[in-house]
Amino acid sequence: MTPRERWLALFAGERPDRIPTDYWATDEVTARLLKDLHCNDVEELYCKLHIDGLIIINAPRIRDHHPDDPDADIWGIRKKVMEYGSGSYNEFGNHPLESAQTVDDIDAFAWPTAENHDFEAYRTLIQNAPRHRIIRSGEFEPFLIYCAMRGMEQAMMDLLVEPDIAMAALNHIFDYYYELNQRTYEIGKGLIDVTYVAEDLGSQTQLLLSVPLIRKFILPNQKRMADLARSYGIHIFYHTDGSARDILPDLINVTGIELLNPIQWRCPGMEREALVRDFGDKIIFHGAMDNQQTLPFGTTDDVRAEVLDNIAVFSGARWICAPCHNIQPVTPTANIVTMYETIHQHGTLS
Amino acid sequence: MDDYKQLYEAILNGNFKIAKEVTQQALDKNADPQMLVQEYMIPAMNEVGRRYEANEYFVPELLIAARAMKASLELIRPLLVQQGAQPAGRVVIGTVKGDLHDIGKNLVAAMLEGSGFEVIDLGVDVSPEKFTTAARDNNASLVAMSALLTTTMGSMKSTIEALKSGGVRDKVKIMIGGAPITQRYADEIGADGYSSNANGAVALARKFVGIQ
Repeated sequence: MTPRERWLALFAGERPDRIPTDYWATDEVTARLLKDLHCNDVEELYCKLHIDGLIIINAPRIRDHHPDDPDADIWGIRKKVMEYGSGSYNEFGNHPLESAQTVDDIDAFAWPTAENHDFEAYRTLIQNAPRHRIIRSGEFEPFLIYCAMRGMEQAMMDLLVEPDIAMAALNHIFDYYYELNQRTYEIGKGLIDVTYVAEDLGSQTQLLLSVPLIRKFILPNQKRMADLARSYGIHIFYHTDGSARDILPDLINVTGIELLNPIQWRCPGMEREALVRDFGDKIIFHGAMDNQQTLPFGTTDDVRAEVLDNIAVFSGARWICAPCHNIQPVTPTANIVTMYETIHQHGTLS
Repeated sequence: MDDYKQLYEAILNGNFKIAKEVTQQALDKNADPQMLVQEYMIPAMNEVGRRYEANEYFVPELLIAARAMKASLELIRPLLVQQGAQPAGRVVIGTVKGDLHDIGKNLVAAMLEGSGFEVIDLGVDVSPEKFTTAARDNNASLVAMSALLTTTMGSMKSTIEALKSGGVRDKVKIMIGGAPITQRYADEIGADGYSSNANGAVALARKFVGIQ
């Protein structure tokens, strides 16, 4: 089976030849792995480690910055690069909606439009994409963007004290993505396998937002976006960090997710056995390789044991073996290699 | 005695305008500021913490409650200082070097403040040296560190080492928290305590300063 066939078998509720795998890592980690494993590119790395990784193709932007601020991204956000020694990450350097007081202030912002994308370039990219891997196009994670534009604390308080402002901004973000994704799906008809729908709803210990707030501000637009993808026969890859168990029935029944990433099983409520028991017939589990303790700080024996544990726990369900979010530079190469070697060695299903 | 239950309710419901109004009215009537803190603000923040632990409150509810508490405390604090009122303890808090994530740290800071602690918030990306100097200069009883990333949690260890070499380690209790942090990690680096959430952090701080 090809990597793509493995994933598609799971979406069809069938058993692939072996447990599929996926790869999420920071750029620093990928660069290091390429070097350590003597690979020229990511495809070679995927082949060497038997990774069934997908290919992300989106319509390129014509202009990469906000019309009113050449140093900011399309949302008006300037990136702040934070160095931590062995690497760096981008954080939000400003919040363009920080001082908005009314819905009019929100409406007055120069919101991005789908016109800012080169769909002909996308057509070429998608038509020439290799067919042995899953193709992912389109994305939707509006509350994350709202938090960046407004400042995280204010964005969260808005849901209770300035609901009209929050709703107006979230609808603007939705409108942009709806048109962008629709045009993308139309061009990529029959060629796109999955789309990415996400919102970080869980913290380390519980939901970040109450269920009523999620139902009011997040789910309706998420469902519309998922329905759009479904109308093109595209599967929904859903990401939420943390403890999200309490909203999982809604994600399954309202949004209609088919795959849940990343299964942080150390978080309360995300215990794998219970997830398999309660939702195993409804969704594919993607991730479950702990990226806060086992991968960065465990031994290779710990990593091997966790892969074997996961194989056993998910034996009656559908699982894609992957790290819980991006592998970080503190993670030894040996741990990463052990994860993929162990699943390759023990993950045969037929 | 006047009943300032409205202050309790305003904090619990996160209404900072009412919290401020009621506090001002109380002070205008010469209400004892320490009584307002002890009998209304601290109980309100305790209830906020209880509701959070019981999954009745979530981050947005915590944030608006903290904002209301701060609005009230801003009016009360100068009077407490004037009276020479002693805080439950003095906490130096910050997100460690290399890390810019502060929502968890801010919630812990607010909950501590609302529980009668004096909080010196050093912000984000705080170097070990800055923690050490601030702990020494402020004669702190507690140092609280936060990290979200597996790549930055190592800064907690270097901060503890800096506190040791700066001669401050024995004068403070060190508490840590953040998504990847565990009790095991706290033990490993020699921190005195760990909590997975803001309410637990308050309980820990209280224990360290001898308040039940």
